[in-house]
Amino acid sequence: MDFLDFIDIVQSIADGVLFGTTYALLGIGFTLIFGVMHKLNLSYAAASIGAAYASLLIFAGIKAPPPLVFLLAAVCGGFIGGMVYVIAFRFIPLANPLATLMSTVGLLLLIDEIIVHTTSGVPLAYPALFSDVIVRAGPFNLRGDLMFVFVLGCLCMVLLLLLLYRTKLGLATRAVSQQPIAAELCGISITRVNGLTFVITGVIGGIAGAMTGAAIGMLSPLLSLPLTVKGLIVTVIGGLGSIPGAIIAGLLVGGLENLFQFARGVSERDLYIMILLFVFLVFRPGGLFAPSAGRD
Amino acid sequence: MDFYLGLLQIIGVHTLLGLSAYCVLLTGQVSLAQAGFFAVGAYVAGMLTVLAAWPLILALAVSAIAGGAIACAVGFPALRVKGLMLVVATVAFGEAVRLFFFNFDYQVAHGDIRIGPHGGEGFRQIRYFPEHGWTTLDVALFIWTAVALVMAALWWMDRSRAGAVLRAVGEDEIAAQSSGINITAVKVAAMTIGGVIAGLGGGIFAHYTTHIEHVQFGVVLATFAIAYPILGGLSNVFGTLLAVIFIQGFLLEGLRFLGDWRNLLFGGLIVLAMNLRPRGLLDAGSTIALKRLFFKTKE
Repeated sequence: MDFLDFIDIVQSIADGVLFGTTYALLGIGFTLIFGVMHKLNLSYAAASIGAAYASLLIFAGIKAPPPLVFLLAAVCGGFIGGMVYVIAFRFIPLANPLATLMSTVGLLLLIDEIIVHTTSGVPLAYPALFSDVIVRAGPFNLRGDLMFVFVLGCLCMVLLLLLLYRTKLGLATRAVSQQPIAAELCGISITRVNGLTFVITGVIGGIAGAMTGAAIGMLSPLLSLPLTVKGLIVTVIGGLGSIPGAIIAGLLVGGLENLFQFARGVSERDLYIMILLFVFLVFRPGGLFAPSAGRD
Repeated sequence: MDFYLGLLQIIGVHTLLGLSAYCVLLTGQVSLAQAGFFAVGAYVAGMLTVLAAWPLILALAVSAIAGGAIACAVGFPALRVKGLMLVVATVAFGEAVRLFFFNFDYQVAHGDIRIGPHGGEGFRQIRYFPEHGWTTLDVALFIWTAVALVMAALWWMDRSRAGAVLRAVGEDEIAAQSSGINITAVKVAAMTIGGVIAGLGGGIFAHYTTHIEHVQFGVVLATFAIAYPILGGLSNVFGTLLAVIFIQGFLLEGLRFLGDWRNLLFGGLIVLAMNLRPRGLLDAGSTIALKRLFFKTKE
């Protein structure tokens, strides 16, 4: 291997890590919902893409400056997140995990179809910010749009951690995730906390959807299934219920994905990510940062 | 008429797929790997009849065994993790199988054309039924014989001690363990039975569609596999059949006159069904009600 190959490898890993923030955000969303409700929300990635689409449609209607589209995506994401809770979780008994799993699958299909229906299945171009800026660091180029995505992702994570550890709502959320019954006895409304968690994860998902759109340059309903799978993988590698784990696993998966793509081509890329996941499940089933065993 | 026979074939094969997930769901595990076992069965059976010119029944037997063996092998590491981790692990397994077949290229020269699985283009020349002069009716009857056999076997298993053990693990693992049940063995056994049924279903699927490719065995098929038993209810095997007829017969074919709106309604109706009947269309309560309705005189 000569020096140029080495530069290419480092370059592709760096691009992958920058894009990995979107995986990290999706992983955080899955992890948060799992932490609070002990339920899997399979419609999450579809809802995120849906929020990005909604923001794009509103954006096209009102002719706002491009940065606003990210804000819009966050707002739409929060709204859709709340809707998801009401439609797929609120009225289904909590003791029946299979029912909510199925209802979120139904919702995933529904959201995908709504997207296909409103856009006729044509991929839409997404406005990228700073796409003309390229930062040169020695022999490496850092793409401006990916850098922006990375910074935005990190900002979201910091805000989320502040929300979880510095506010009353965060305290309530953590209380419900540890001991739902004890939390209810302390006067916390579980329904309200669950609903708000869905809104918060929806906001994160909306931003992640917009970031995916900005980094790839377009939005397509075909994105939702791969993103669901990647988000779940990140959640498991990071450790279910662990936010730092989801962040690190997201960046890891993003970087490795590009490395495999560089080494073995795009058609085999995901195969190695799946194998990586299996390695984790066999040797470290709890993930990178397994939370200490709770009292269930 | 052929259309309805074709629909019967689809319903039959999907019932097998649903029943394979039903076995695993009885133990309380959600496995999205069934599409992977289904794919293995399809490719194995297809390659045996096309490349090795085996008779169909033998090829299907081998595909069922292959599905079961792989399910058993996957079951051991995958069942170390529970519940939602298992969902993700099995999704990853299913996708890994699909990607394997996406890159799988094994062609042999046969006359002047090359036959066999060809990577992303799939496996085209599975013409066992037309070459042996089977009519659509024959194929439909053959598929439903297999479905009836599998359903009868599972019905019998459900009423025997084995079914009670499976359900005990599904209801409460700790209670089952304390009454002396080896839960890992039970789960791996359930996974293996599921793999056998999925392998058989896959083998049949490969032969009636005549062309298989990796896209057919993705996450969507895996989701359908668990959707049937969950939507139909886990109280008995007929729930799965009912859900397959509901989804394939009513939602996919019956609503075709709605055009584009059908797809929108599809997801919506699943969400609605889960909200209204969280324990499935045919749950324990409605089973008892139906029994009362039909066997009133006996009681």
